[in-house]
Amino acid sequence: MNDAETLAHLRELFLDNPDLEAARWLALSISLALVAAVLFLVRRRGLREEYTPIWLAVSAALVFVSLRIDLLRELTRAIGAWTPSSTLFFLGELFLVAICLNYAVRLSRASLLIKNLAQEIALLRAQVEKLAARGEDARE
Amino acid sequence: MLVIPSFNEAPRLPALLARIEAEKTGLEVVVVDDGSRDATAELAARAGATVLRHPFNLGYGAGLQTGYKYALEVGARCVVQMDADGQHDPSDIRRLLAPLERGECDLVIGSRFLAPTGYEMGFTRTLGRRFFVGLARAFGIRVTDPTSGFQALGRRVLELYAGDSFPSDYPDVDVLLTAHRHGLAVREISVEMHASQRKSTLHGGLRSVWYVYKMLLAVWAASAGGTK
Repeated sequence: MNDAETLAHLRELFLDNPDLEAARWLALSISLALVAAVLFLVRRRGLREEYTPIWLAVSAALVFVSLRIDLLRELTRAIGAWTPSSTLFFLGELFLVAICLNYAVRLSRASLLIKNLAQEIALLRAQVEKLAARGEDARE
Repeated sequence: MLVIPSFNEAPRLPALLARIEAEKTGLEVVVVDDGSRDATAELAARAGATVLRHPFNLGYGAGLQTGYKYALEVGARCVVQMDADGQHDPSDIRRLLAPLERGECDLVIGSRFLAPTGYEMGFTRTLGRRFFVGLARAFGIRVTDPTSGFQALGRRVLELYAGDSFPSDYPDVDVLLTAHRHGLAVREISVEMHASQRKSTLHGGLRSVWYVYKMLLAVWAASAGGTK
């Protein structure tokens, strides 16, 4: 058996590795904990409703993957990875990059709004001070 | 109207305001206090200036823009902007305003390099300036001092610069390009500048690397029409 065949054989061994029941339950528990955390934060007004779909979708995807590891195995085979866990890490990283970019865009918008608001405060404060001074002058 | 963005300028501002007063320009002096932790706002108010106070530090560009917004609100025809650190000479204000008042252009830049004034820059800053002069030239703007903060701006420029695309930190070549793209005429006059009395400048040290990077991106965005 040459090196390439050995590697292919090794990869098949990794891919055909039987599912660990413990890993499945761990993934399920984490997904449900994530759903609970999202709902808890919404109830406590710590997370706005419009930010929840993405996290609930992530939880649903985790639940789905924990129940159908065979599909994850197929995906792993399709993208050329060795183990389902590395596929999960890869997808997780892609998700994190996308969500960071999304938040950077939202942050840029929020910064602009904060700057405009602070400028508006400065202009209004000057106006109020001017009116107050005029009122004092009129009283004198 | 004369706009002076200031951040922790209490040690330098009173002397500058006294020199401006002595010039008797007749302009309303507006000091934009950009969230100073010292007595900048109080000293400016005591000297008779209109004070616009940011609730917290927003950046040099945002300070200028607050001044522009105020000028538009009160119906000013033009604005002269100058730094609070004593670099710019108030005796040049009238000369800076003259081309605007004659209707010859929309934006006048006070240049340190149009004629020999003896102003000296370090090697890195000279290199940076040459780079930005070349960059501006590539877009058809012929200026010798694109980073000068001593400028006179007409109403059309104020309306443009009051928009959301105006940067909060360093408005330099990118905003010149925006003005140029909107068909506004830019002109330079020679002015004398003194060394900044501030210990650190906006473009010093590691900041200059960030500045060049940010400016290149901003110029690219402005050239692609990413302006309002």
